[in-house]
Amino acid sequence: MATNMRGLTQFIADIRGARVRELEEKRINKEMANIRKKFKDGNLDGYQKKKYVAKIIFTYILGYKVDVGHMEAVNLISSSKYSEKQIGYLAVTLLMHENSDFLRLVVNSIRKDLDENNEINNCLALHAIANVGGSEMAEALAEDVHRLLISPTSQSFVKKKAALTLLRLYRKHPDVIPAAEWALRIVSIMDDQDLGVVVCVTSLVMALAQDHLEAFAVCYTKAVDRLHRLVIEHEYSAQYAYYKVPSPWLLVKLLRLLQYYAPSGSFASGAHFLIRIKYLILGDPTIRSVLHNVLQTTMNNSAEPSRNVQHNNAQHAVLFEAISLAIHLDTNSPLVGTAAVILARFISSKETNVRYLGLDAMAHLAARADSLEPIKKQQGTIILSLRDKDISVRRRALDLLYSMCDVDNSELIVGELLRYLKVADYALREEMVLKIAILTEKYASSYKWYVDTILQLISSAGEHVGDEVWYRVVQIVTNTEDLQEYAAKVIFEHLKAPSTHESLVKVGGYILGEYGHLIANEAGYSPIEQFQVLHHKSQFCVASTRSLLLSTYIKWVNVFPEIKPQLLNIFERYRHVLDAELQQRACEFYALASRPDDDELLQNVCEEMPPFPARESALLSRLNRKHGDTEDKRTWIHGGKEANLERQATNRKTTLGLQPNGNGSASAAQMDGQDIMGSLAGLDISESTTHNDTPNPPLGSTPISSSASIPDNILRLTVGPSVERWYNKLTYNAEGVLYEDVQIQIGVKSKYQGHLGQLAIYMGNKVSAPLTSFTTTVSVSDPEALSISFAKISPSTIAPRTQTQQLLHVECKKMFTTPPILTVSFLAGSHQTIRIRLPVVVTKFFEHVKLGQADFFERWKLIGGPPREAQTVFPVDLNAANQLDLVKNRQVVSGHNLNVLDGIDPNPNNLVAAGVLHMSVEGKVGCLLRVEPNRDAKLCRLTVRSTSENVAEEVQKLLQGPLKADT
Amino acid sequence: MIHAVLIFNTSGIPRLTKFYTPLHQAQQTIVQKIFSLISSRPAGLCNFLDAPELEAFLGPQDDADERWRVVYRSYATLYFVFVVDGAESELGILDLIQVFVESLDRTFENVCELDLVFHFDEVHHILAEIIQGGLVLETNVEEIDSSVQAAAKARRESFTSANPLSLGVGGGAASRNGGLQTPLGWLTGKITGVGAR
Repeated sequence: MATNMRGLTQFIADIRGARVRELEEKRINKEMANIRKKFKDGNLDGYQKKKYVAKIIFTYILGYKVDVGHMEAVNLISSSKYSEKQIGYLAVTLLMHENSDFLRLVVNSIRKDLDENNEINNCLALHAIANVGGSEMAEALAEDVHRLLISPTSQSFVKKKAALTLLRLYRKHPDVIPAAEWALRIVSIMDDQDLGVVVCVTSLVMALAQDHLEAFAVCYTKAVDRLHRLVIEHEYSAQYAYYKVPSPWLLVKLLRLLQYYAPSGSFASGAHFLIRIKYLILGDPTIRSVLHNVLQTTMNNSAEPSRNVQHNNAQHAVLFEAISLAIHLDTNSPLVGTAAVILARFISSKETNVRYLGLDAMAHLAARADSLEPIKKQQGTIILSLRDKDISVRRRALDLLYSMCDVDNSELIVGELLRYLKVADYALREEMVLKIAILTEKYASSYKWYVDTILQLISSAGEHVGDEVWYRVVQIVTNTEDLQEYAAKVIFEHLKAPSTHESLVKVGGYILGEYGHLIANEAGYSPIEQFQVLHHKSQFCVASTRSLLLSTYIKWVNVFPEIKPQLLNIFERYRHVLDAELQQRACEFYALASRPDDDELLQNVCEEMPPFPARESALLSRLNRKHGDTEDKRTWIHGGKEANLERQATNRKTTLGLQPNGNGSASAAQMDGQDIMGSLAGLDISESTTHNDTPNPPLGSTPISSSASIPDNILRLTVGPSVERWYNKLTYNAEGVLYEDVQIQIGVKSKYQGHLGQLAIYMGNKVSAPLTSFTTTVSVSDPEALSISFAKISPSTIAPRTQTQQLLHVECKKMFTTPPILTVSFLAGSHQTIRIRLPVVVTKFFEHVKLGQADFFERWKLIGGPPREAQTVFPVDLNAANQLDLVKNRQVVSGHNLNVLDGIDPNPNNLVAAGVLHMSVEGKVGCLLRVEPNRDAKLCRLTVRSTSENVAEEVQKLLQGPLKADT
Repeated sequence: MIHAVLIFNTSGIPRLTKFYTPLHQAQQTIVQKIFSLISSRPAGLCNFLDAPELEAFLGPQDDADERWRVVYRSYATLYFVFVVDGAESELGILDLIQVFVESLDRTFENVCELDLVFHFDEVHHILAEIIQGGLVLETNVEEIDSSVQAAAKARRESFTSANPLSLGVGGGAASRNGGLQTPLGWLTGKITGVGAR
C-alpha cells in the first residue's frame, strides 16, 4: 500500500510539488539513479524491493520510460507475503508485454500460484496471464487455467477470472485450446447461478463460438433461455440490477452472441451450407418465439424514458443490441418495423449519444433491409445530421447515407454529399471522396451525370482524391464511346478554372489526348485552345504529371498537325531537363515527331486506346479490406444489401484460401481454414451415410455436427448392450425406457398420427443431488426430411429424485433412414454427456390399411420384384416349447404399425401385413410385407414390397432386427 | 474488446494508464493525442469519438468499419477514457465507466483526484476487479468492493505478520493520509482543488 511506504509518499509529494516539467524530470532522474544503485548493491529485503518497485511503477504511470526493476518485480512475485506479491504482479502486468523476455522467468511462479489452494493467489496469477500472457504461456498454462474454470470446487470469483484468462490464451494461441472438445463443458457454465460468472463465460463462448459455430450451437438455446429469465421472468439477484436494468452487460453480450449465428431463414438457400448445422436449434419455433418475446419486451420497455441518465443509458444499450439482433434475424419482421419507428425518433433526439447510436443502428438496418422505404422517410433528418455540431454524429450520418443510397435517391444524396464536402472536416474528406466516387459509379443513371459528378468531385476536393478515383474515370470514359465527346468538353471547361488540382490535370491530359480531336471542330475547343489550357497548367505540376502531358502532346502531333511546331518546341525544351523519365520521353517523342509526314510509325504508335478489360472497381476493394483472426468479427458492414452478401462470400473465400496474413494471425487463419475443410469433409460423410446400404443404421452417423476437428469421443453415441436393446425395443413400442444408468433414467412415450407425432421424454434424476446445467438437444441428419423440435426450452436443473418431462413435436416430411440423436448433458460432480438415438423411425409414421385377399395379391403382383421388393433370409430362435415364436412376430409387425391381415396366407405360421406411410412433402406410400418362418431350418424369410424402393428396404431392415435370433 | 483505460485530468496529466494491447508508439504521445482530441470537444457532444487518428498509435484495424472508438466521460477535474473496438457496445462502456467510478468511490469514500495519485496501486487493483485482459470481469459494485476488500485484508495480514510492532496501521484502502485529504469529493459535482501537477 502506497501510504505504508513513507519514501514513496514523499516521492509522490515531491513530484506534485515540482512546478515545471524540468524539475519533475530532475527529481525522477535522481530517484531512478538512486534505485539503480540500490538494486546494484543488492541485499535488499522484501519491503525495500517493494518500495522501489512501487516508485518505478509510479514513474511509469506518469509516462516516463523505465528500464529497471523488471528482475526485482519477478522476485517479488514469488514472495510469500501477499503485499509484496501483489506489487510484483502489478509491476509485471504494467511494465512487461507479451513478448518480454522476463516473462519466461515468471511462468513457474505463476504456475505455482495457480496450483495453490489460496484463491487470492490464484486470482493474481490469472490476472497476470490475462494481461501479458502470450503463446508461450498459453502452451504452458492453458490446462491449469481450464482446470480452475471447470473445477467444482472453484469459487465464483476464480471461475470468472479463469474464463477470461482462457479467452486471452485462445486469442494468443488458438491451437492449445481444444475448443470443440471443451465446448459442452464450457457452455454448461452459462447456467451458473452467479451472473458475474455468466458474463465472463459468455465472453469466452462468444469468442470460441465464432470459430466453432457448430460445436457451440448449444449456447444459442442457453443464451435465449437466459435472456428469457432476465427480461421476462426478472429472475436475477438484486445486486445485478444496474439502475433497475438487469445486468445490461450480460444482456448486450447475449444479444450479440446470437448474432453470430445465421438466421434460420437463410438456410433454404443452400449457400449457407457451412452454417446449416443445428438447423433445429435455430429454426426451432419455440426458441424463435421466446426470443421474439424478449425482443418485443425490450423494445416496449424503451417506450417509457426515465429521467435518470444511467438508467436511460443502460436501457438504450440493451435496446440497440436488441434492434441489431432483430435486424439480423429477419429484416421483414414486424419487430424491425417497430425498431424503424424507434430509430426514427432517436435520430432527432436531443441527446447526442442517442442520435449517434440511432444513426449507427439505422445504417445497420440499411445495410441489411430489403426495402429502404422506412429509412428514406427520414432522409431529410439524416441529411441535416451531416451538419450536426458533433463530428462523431456527422461521421455516422455519412455512413448511413452511404448505406441507404440506391438508384432512386443517388443523385440527391451524392449532390448533398458533394455540397457538404466543401465544408466537411478535414479528417472526413478522404473517406467521403471515396464513398462519393463509389456511389456515383454504382448508381449512375446517366453517363453525363457520372462524368459531371466525378469531375466536380476532383475539382472541389482534389487533394483527397486517391489515384484509383481518376484511373477509374479514365477506364470508364475509354470503355464508353458515347461518353467520350461529352467528357472531353466538360473536362476542358473544368481546366479553364484558374486553379485546378493535379488529378484534374491528369484526367484532362489523358482524355483530351485521346478524344480532344472529337471536339476540335467546335468553336472554343480548337486544338490551339486545348493546348494552351493544358500547357498553362503544366508548370505547376510534378514530374509524373508532366510526363503524362508529354504523352498527350505526342498524341496531338498525330491528330492536330496545325499545332505541331509548338509541340515540337516543347519536346525540344524537355530534352534537356534533369529528370531522367521526362528527358527520355522528350527525346523519344521528339524523334518520333520529327520523322517525315508520310511516315506511318507515328500513326501506329498513337492508335486509339483499346477498351480496358472489365475489371472490378479498385475503390470497393480498398474500402473492404479483409481480416481473419480470433478477434471478434463484425456481423455487418456499411453499404447496401449486396455489399453484405458479397462480404460473406469473400470472407468464406479468404478463410478457405489459407493465406497467412500478417503477424500472428496466420495460424488463426489457418485454423479457420482447416475447420471449414473439416466441415466440408463432414458433409461428405453425411452424403454417403444417407445413401449407404449398410444393414444397420450406422452408429456413428452424426452428420449434422461432424467436423474433423471434433474428437470422436464427443460425438460418438453412448454405447452398451442395453442401450441397443432399449432402442430396438422402442422402435416397435410406443413407450418404455430409453436409457438408464446410476444417475439418470430416460424414458419415452410417443403418439403418432399420420405424418405428425408427439414424443414425451421423461428424465429422472436418480441421485440425491440436483443435476445442474441440464441441457438437451436433438439433431437430425436431414432437416428437410424429418423435423423435430422441443415444445419449450428445457429447464436447466433437475431436483434430486424427481423427474421432468419434455415434449417433442415430430413431423415426417420425406423418407428418412437415420433416427434423430438426443444429446443430454448435465453436471453431477463432473460433466456428463449422453448421446443416444431417439426411437423415431420411418415405420412410426405408418397407418393401417385393411385389404382383402384379392386386393392384397393384386397389389402384391402389381408392385412386383426388385428393386421395389426387399427380401432377406435370416436365422430365428425357437421359444421354450421349441416352437416358432409367432406371438412375438405378430407383436413386432403390428408394433411397427403395419396391419396384420389374417386369412390371406394359407400357412398359419406366415404373416401378411400392410400399411401406408404418411409424409407431409412426399405424400403417401403403401407397403406390403410377408413373414415366412420355418421351424425346421430355424430360418425366416422376410419380403417387403413397396411402391418406393427406399421404403421397402428400410422397412425390411427395421423389422429384421427384432425378428432375428439374439446372437 | 477494451484496448485501453485512461484517466487524466483537465490539464492532460495522466492519472491512470492501462493498455491491454501492445502499443506502436510511446504511451505519453498517445495519451496526449487522446487528450487533445477530447479536451477540444465542448460539453453536450456525445461521449463517443471515432478516432481514425489513433491508428498510427494502436495499429490499423483490419476492417474498414472496425474503427477505434473512444468512449469517455468527464467527472469534475477528471476524464475517464476507454478505447474500445466495434465488439463493445458504446453505451455499455459508458455504464462501465460509471461502475468504475462508483467502485472507486466505494473504496475511497468520496474519491478525489488525490486518491488516484497517492493510491495508484489501489486504483489498479480495483480496475483489475472490473476489467481483465480487456474484457469485462465484473459489473456488480458490491462484488467488486468485496473482492477489493478481501485483497486489502490479505495485504494487511501479510503486513502485520511482517511488522509485529505496526499496531495494525498497515494500510486499509480507507485509511488515508489525513494531511492530503481534500474535503470535497468530485462526485458531488464540486471541483476539488487539485493543481495541474
